[in-house]
Amino acid sequence: MAAVEDEKRGEEALERLKAADPPLYLSPSTELSQVARAAARHLYSALLPFCPKAPVDRLIADDGFDAEQIWYQIDLLSRPLVSTLRREVRRLEREPPEVLLLAGGKAAAEAVKGGHGEEGEEEEEDDDGEEDEEEEDAVAAEEEEEDGREEEEDEEEEGEGKGQGVEDRFLKIKELEEYLEKNEEEEYWQPERRKRKQKRDEEEEEGDEEEEEEENEEDADEADLELGDFDEDGDEETDLYENARYEDFFGGKKKRGLNKKDGGRKREDSDEDDLSGGSEDQKMDDENIDTLNKNNLSTHEKELQQIRSKIEQMEKANLEPKSWTMQGEVTAAKRPMNSALEVDLDFEHNVRPAPVITEEVTATLEDLIRKRIMEGHFDDVQRAPVLPSKAPKEYKELDENKSKKGLAEIYEEEYAQKTGLAPQPLSVSDEQKKEASILFKKLCLKLDALSHFNFAPKPVIEDMSVQANVPALAMEEIAPLAVSDAAMLAPEEIFEGKGDIKEEVELTQADRKRRRANKKRKFKAEMTKRARQSVDPSHPSGKQDS
Amino acid sequence: MAAMKVEAGGASFAATAAPAPAAARPQFEALKPHEMSDGKVQFRKVAVPPHRYAPLKRNWMEIYTPVYEQMKIDIRMNLKARRVELKTRSDTPDVSNLQKCADFVHAFMLGFDIADAIALLRLDDLYVDSFEIKDVKTLRGEHLSRAIGRLSGKGGKTKFAIENSTRTRIVIADTKIHILGSFLNIKVARDSLSSLILGSPAAKVYSKLRAVTARLAEKY
Repeated sequence: MAAVEDEKRGEEALERLKAADPPLYLSPSTELSQVARAAARHLYSALLPFCPKAPVDRLIADDGFDAEQIWYQIDLLSRPLVSTLRREVRRLEREPPEVLLLAGGKAAAEAVKGGHGEEGEEEEEDDDGEEDEEEEDAVAAEEEEEDGREEEEDEEEEGEGKGQGVEDRFLKIKELEEYLEKNEEEEYWQPERRKRKQKRDEEEEEGDEEEEEEENEEDADEADLELGDFDEDGDEETDLYENARYEDFFGGKKKRGLNKKDGGRKREDSDEDDLSGGSEDQKMDDENIDTLNKNNLSTHEKELQQIRSKIEQMEKANLEPKSWTMQGEVTAAKRPMNSALEVDLDFEHNVRPAPVITEEVTATLEDLIRKRIMEGHFDDVQRAPVLPSKAPKEYKELDENKSKKGLAEIYEEEYAQKTGLAPQPLSVSDEQKKEASILFKKLCLKLDALSHFNFAPKPVIEDMSVQANVPALAMEEIAPLAVSDAAMLAPEEIFEGKGDIKEEVELTQADRKRRRANKKRKFKAEMTKRARQSVDPSHPSGKQDS
Repeated sequence: MAAMKVEAGGASFAATAAPAPAAARPQFEALKPHEMSDGKVQFRKVAVPPHRYAPLKRNWMEIYTPVYEQMKIDIRMNLKARRVELKTRSDTPDVSNLQKCADFVHAFMLGFDIADAIALLRLDDLYVDSFEIKDVKTLRGEHLSRAIGRLSGKGGKTKFAIENSTRTRIVIADTKIHILGSFLNIKVARDSLSSLILGSPAAKVYSKLRAVTARLAEKY
């Protein structure tokens, strides 16, 4: 049998994997991978019958396939399986296999229950442990497969013992029974059971606390309730079932949303109802305590109720002051703090947004600057030339020095100027005028020379200046030339003397005689003068001390 | 001649009642001051303060010459009494000459230079105005010293500025201030000096002076 052989091989592979040293796993080895693949395939095929929808019939774990791909197939297979397992575990917890045989009598039930509670605990613990392991080792496919297999084997025994023929993947007898029990109990709750329920609660609480990890308190309570109901229900069952209604079975999905809320409310009203199980298991999709309390309203009535509540809501909203977003102009004081941040406001921006300075922008600017500098085009602001409308005022400077003229002299000069005896001194403006007139005359001279055909000589400007008797070239050139000896002054300007000068050689006899005679005459005159002076001291021409 | 005629007429007044021919309007010459005062001589005495004694001695001829020669006033120095005495002569042309000479000498005694004081002799409408710092504002101690310093300025430049712009001469003698010049100019100078005493800075005074000077110049 190929299947058996395959199984054997698979188990061998698993054994080998188990036996392999942990360090071997660290280094990649083809042999080990082959073994692992074989093991995986074996486990996959083992689990295949239990899965509601398997992606592939056989695990494709050839050499070419990645770990990720293999894992993905396994994952697809095992996920629904896990949830199924969980459900099974919970069911087991609630009704351990022995109790389902329905032993009668309270005490027996209690004893059994008590006894079974421990077993249940153990089972639960095992299951929980296994479930924990499953959850923690999500990556390691092999371990999970092993655990799953073990659990599956347990479950297989139970499941196959019960409804073999009817059950398939949609219909589970156990689930159906649970469902029915629960809802009946809710519908036909009677106060007598409360005491029993309470007792049971106390007993069960101890057990429940230990089981707490995944199971909700509600579930545990439900379990208790169900058990209680189940025990007591014998006589009244028919009555309850007769009064069943549509809403009880098909309460409608509308109520689902309000489940939790109602459950919370019901908890508060623990006096009336000790039904803490108002909120259901998400799987138990059904009637609520609400319907029970509202006493069998028809659909139409329910709709009316809803509409009424909606109307009430709307009217209330209309009467109340509107939210700040609906009011017209709202200042910051009228709305809660930072509320404008949460609302999407739309308004016009009157200001152009600031330009984002990027590198490109700066680059363009710098290019422009460089170009301008090279061109020399600066757009400098130039002052508009102001034409003088009138002559500038002559400011008399304050002389801070002691005046050289006496007061009398000042008045004298003033008088003289007024009468015209003395010319007035030139003021600054006069000098400037003089200078201006000279310049203009020069210009006119040049223009005239250009425009006229007749020659006009240059006007002589009498300008007094000191001329140094230095050769002209010496003044004009730095390096003195030995050649030219021209002096700037004319010979007659240099000459000091008078008359016709003759050299000693040139003199004639008569000139010589004349010269001698003049000399003698002079000498004589001088001698007489001296003699007269020395003789007469009172002569006024003499030197006297006065 | 006319006097004689009148006297003759008077003598024979009672005797004859015969009407004399209508006499021509009498022409009189101006009275000399000497005659005006009936031959009496007028005096002026100017005391010489001790600090002006030496300058007086130095500048005596410059004082003496114009007074004696041009104004025709006798002038002498009384050494014992430390006074300059002035006296009219018989040929003094004008009555006011004596007063002018007295003012001239007095101005010199106050501290003005001869060249400046001479203007008093030459011009009619020049005066000397004196006032004290305490007339303007009561200042004591350092404030007073500072005020005097403010008036003169550094090296006297503020004083000279005022003198030059207003055509006056100023003498600051400790707490007394003397100003020589024409009436309006004295007024302007006095205002400037008063503002300086009261504490305004020199620059402010200068600006005011400039404005006033321009106005004064325009008048003439």
